[in-house]
Amino acid sequence: MRNSDIAISIKHLSKFYKTFQALDKVSFEVKRGDFFAFLGPNGAGKTTTINVLTGLSNYQSGDVRVFGHDVTSEYLRSRRLIGLCAQEFNFDPFLTIYQLLVYQAEYFGIPPWEAKRRANALLERFQLADKRQCKHRALSSGMKKRLLLCRALIHDPEILILDEPTAGCDLELKFLIWDYLAQLNKEGKTIFLTTHYMEEAERLCKTIGIINRGRIVRIGDKKQILQDKSLEDVFLEITGSE
Amino acid sequence: MLHLISNPIGVLALSKREIHRFFSVANQTIFPPLVSSAMFMYIFGVAIGSRIDFSAAGMSYFNFIVPGLMAMHLISSAYENTSSSLFIGRWHNHIQEILLSPLSYIEMVLGLLAGGVARGVTVCLGVWLTSLLFAPSAIAHPIALLYFMLMIAVIFSCAGMMGALWAEDFGMLSMWNIYVIVPLALLGGVFHPMAMLPKPVLIISHFNPMSYLVSGIRYSMTGTCDMPAAVSAAIAFAMAGLFFLATVYLFKIGYKLRT
Repeated sequence: MRNSDIAISIKHLSKFYKTFQALDKVSFEVKRGDFFAFLGPNGAGKTTTINVLTGLSNYQSGDVRVFGHDVTSEYLRSRRLIGLCAQEFNFDPFLTIYQLLVYQAEYFGIPPWEAKRRANALLERFQLADKRQCKHRALSSGMKKRLLLCRALIHDPEILILDEPTAGCDLELKFLIWDYLAQLNKEGKTIFLTTHYMEEAERLCKTIGIINRGRIVRIGDKKQILQDKSLEDVFLEITGSE
Repeated sequence: MLHLISNPIGVLALSKREIHRFFSVANQTIFPPLVSSAMFMYIFGVAIGSRIDFSAAGMSYFNFIVPGLMAMHLISSAYENTSSSLFIGRWHNHIQEILLSPLSYIEMVLGLLAGGVARGVTVCLGVWLTSLLFAPSAIAHPIALLYFMLMIAVIFSCAGMMGALWAEDFGMLSMWNIYVIVPLALLGGVFHPMAMLPKPVLIISHFNPMSYLVSGIRYSMTGTCDMPAAVSAAIAFAMAGLFFLATVYLFKIGYKLRT
């Protein structure tokens, strides 16, 4: 593994949707083991950045690497290192949630016996074990959120990317997810989180990056960014003045 | 090809999922073509066919249409399988499960292809087994049949993937099958020998690739065919290679898969 201290490295990343520039020479790094909050208003470029990192979006210029592996030319290596918990419930409607996790693990080259063990363990961990034979349509939205997390974690990725993981969750589930993410980070996983909940970012993250209109407008250590203010005030100050 | 597969477990998983998908809805994917084939065989092959003098062709009309029906349903089933699977994947966005995984673009295509080939071959052999309910019909060249079934299934599974990438809605998805593939297959000699066609139409038929594919299946089943078997085999191979490479290319550039 190259550049093992830098989990994510983005340099001069630009991305256009036809004539609209979604990302304008975005550059930043996320260190291994960091809990990184990537904040910004709607349409700022958060999801586009995630899509470029995970290979779901093409980009026009820049250099994007995951643990030193270029996400375009070395996509087979970079994708093994990332688990994505997307915003939407995009599950295969033909499969039970257990089958869904087993297949997902196998796509990552994990042998069937190990895939089954991991699927059972995650379903148990996220209190979904009694729903293992259900299809995702039979789950509540909170359960689907947990299933998204299970799917992102099934191949035990080095980096967990979470796109608004607690949007629409009740308090109990929110705390369950927060505790689990904090534990994962303590165990050494790098976590890249986007959220609109400032409290969530303030409570969980070590480093904060703020993007607005496709440009990084602030990035740094949480303490350095906050300087005795609340994250909400800092966020509004930065994005409101742009 | 083998050295291009770096994630065999992943390819196998995707293949299993595709096969599981069509078998789990067999009443929509396997049985309808068998029922419609049985109807064609009874009405055209048995009821009408017994009154047609087909002795010049050296076989009964029933035995003539069985390979045609096999080819037609092989083509439709392979196309429908990959087109619906990939399009529904795009529609529900669960295609991301594959796009986020460390499967190369060739591996993604191979995995999806497995479902189309398995369904096409299952239906094709199912049509043949159905024909045995009405009259005996042996396979003259089993190896050739296997070859043509695989080549045709690859061609139309790839065509299905290309159709699924191109389509923006379900109407566009079925358009190719309804307006292009099935008419060309029917004109390609499913129910009639080429020699029956008027000369200008016969000349045009030589440019219809389906004529060679249907003819290849007919040669495999009966030992006789409208087009030279070697030419049919070569055309099937070339088309399979071309469609496969084109599909891999579309995955590679992320055509309607990546934003």
